[in-house]
Amino acid sequence: MIEVQGLRVVLPLETVALYGVDLVVAPGEFVVIIGRSGAGKTTFLRAINRLVEPTSGTVRVAGQLVTGTDPGALRLVRRQIGMIFQQFNLVRRASVLDNVLAGRLGYVPEWPSLVGRFPPRDRALARDCLAQVGLADFAARRADTLSGGEQQRVAIARALAQEPQVILGDEPTASLDPTLAGSIMGILGRINRERRLTLVVSQHQLETALEHGTRIVGFRAGHVVFDGPPAAVSPDVVQLVYGEEAA
Amino acid sequence: MKRAAWLGAALLLLAVAWHIDADPARLVRGLPWMWDFVRRMVPPDFRVLPAALRGAVGTIEIAFLGTALAAALAVPLGFLSARNVAPPAVYYAVRTALNFFRSIDTLVYALLFVAAVGLGPFPGMLAVVAYTTTSLAKLYSETIEGIEPGPVDAIRATGATRLQVLRFGILPQVLPLFLSYVLYRFESNVRAATVLGFVGAGGIGLYLQTYLRMIDYPAASTVLLVTVVMVMLVDFASARIRARLV
Repeated sequence: MIEVQGLRVVLPLETVALYGVDLVVAPGEFVVIIGRSGAGKTTFLRAINRLVEPTSGTVRVAGQLVTGTDPGALRLVRRQIGMIFQQFNLVRRASVLDNVLAGRLGYVPEWPSLVGRFPPRDRALARDCLAQVGLADFAARRADTLSGGEQQRVAIARALAQEPQVILGDEPTASLDPTLAGSIMGILGRINRERRLTLVVSQHQLETALEHGTRIVGFRAGHVVFDGPPAAVSPDVVQLVYGEEAA
Repeated sequence: MKRAAWLGAALLLLAVAWHIDADPARLVRGLPWMWDFVRRMVPPDFRVLPAALRGAVGTIEIAFLGTALAAALAVPLGFLSARNVAPPAVYYAVRTALNFFRSIDTLVYALLFVAAVGLGPFPGMLAVVAYTTTSLAKLYSETIEGIEPGPVDAIRATGATRLQVLRFGILPQVLPLFLSYVLYRFESNVRAATVLGFVGAGGIGLYLQTYLRMIDYPAASTVLLVTVVMVMLVDFASARIRARLV
């Protein structure tokens, strides 16, 4: 479902964020990425849909090339990739439903959408996605009147509205308290099982990662240093990923 | 160091005051004349009230139409001169052009437009458009540069086009502030438009200048009173609306 080969990202000011990462994610996997802050987790996720431009290497999602494509082809493949963020990244002043409708932007006719006109089918789909995260009654509320956990659920609904094959999550629970974090990971797990959606989510909480992931990938200083099932995460692996001394 | 700076500033002020012939004694000698001026202005001649009100309406019309047109024209210019939206070459070109044209005041534009299209409120309105477009474009671009990048990333990630990213990621963040700046410019433009009549560009200034030339001070004072009330009303109404926006 996701094929990453030799992905190298050099950020401005010559900082190497990723040194040639290879990773293949099969359909239906729930990959949780662990690692210390600055290990390259965020850069890796953002390079998959080219919010960050890779320096070299290739990324394919659902068989379509992401890297090196023209803007039109990039938009088509981005529709297949939902994304949720640590800060939820909703448009605060817009209504909850409008935020979810944004997930349809890659599908609807461009000019009508600019004046806020969406086909009825897309509106119905957006409402349906909102219902799936349990927020059907919140459609008309302004996004910034919702609590953090509710906002992240709206962001999940926005990602689902893309009818994607893959959802990427960049520390989606890091700004939430532990109970809410668990419930958000639970919603993602349910989506993974019921819809057979492929998930790649970074997570700074090790226990949460092990509880929800079907596969754990450990990043350290721009390299993948561990890749295996949650059961294989031994104290040695923890030391390898998080340990103080050089790996 | 600090004392030297203060001393330097004081010397500069004195030097400039000398250069422009600033003379407190002259002000004192002129006081009786000013008093005479004020005395001749009261009581105001309210027979010219209808004329003054026509002038006030004209001034507000100039400011209203001019500000509205400028508010729209400045939107594309604001985006093109925002560092985080426009390509660098476009950004520098548009920003330089805006800085150039913004250094010309509304009254100077009015002189140019009166010369070009003749007397009346139309050149006044054009002058308001010319100055306000550049000043709003600057405010717009600074607002755009200050937006949260997160929602923009989220919209890009959905597969949205450039225009859709502008419309759904950026516009909702900046629109209330844009409207607030437009109202603020409208207030300033009502004040600026009161003097446009002095150069033949319509509005209440025309009446003020005419009565002063005719040495009809009671009539001029009516016009001044109407100007003050008009500006205060516009400021008050606009401030109330702005308070609701942000």
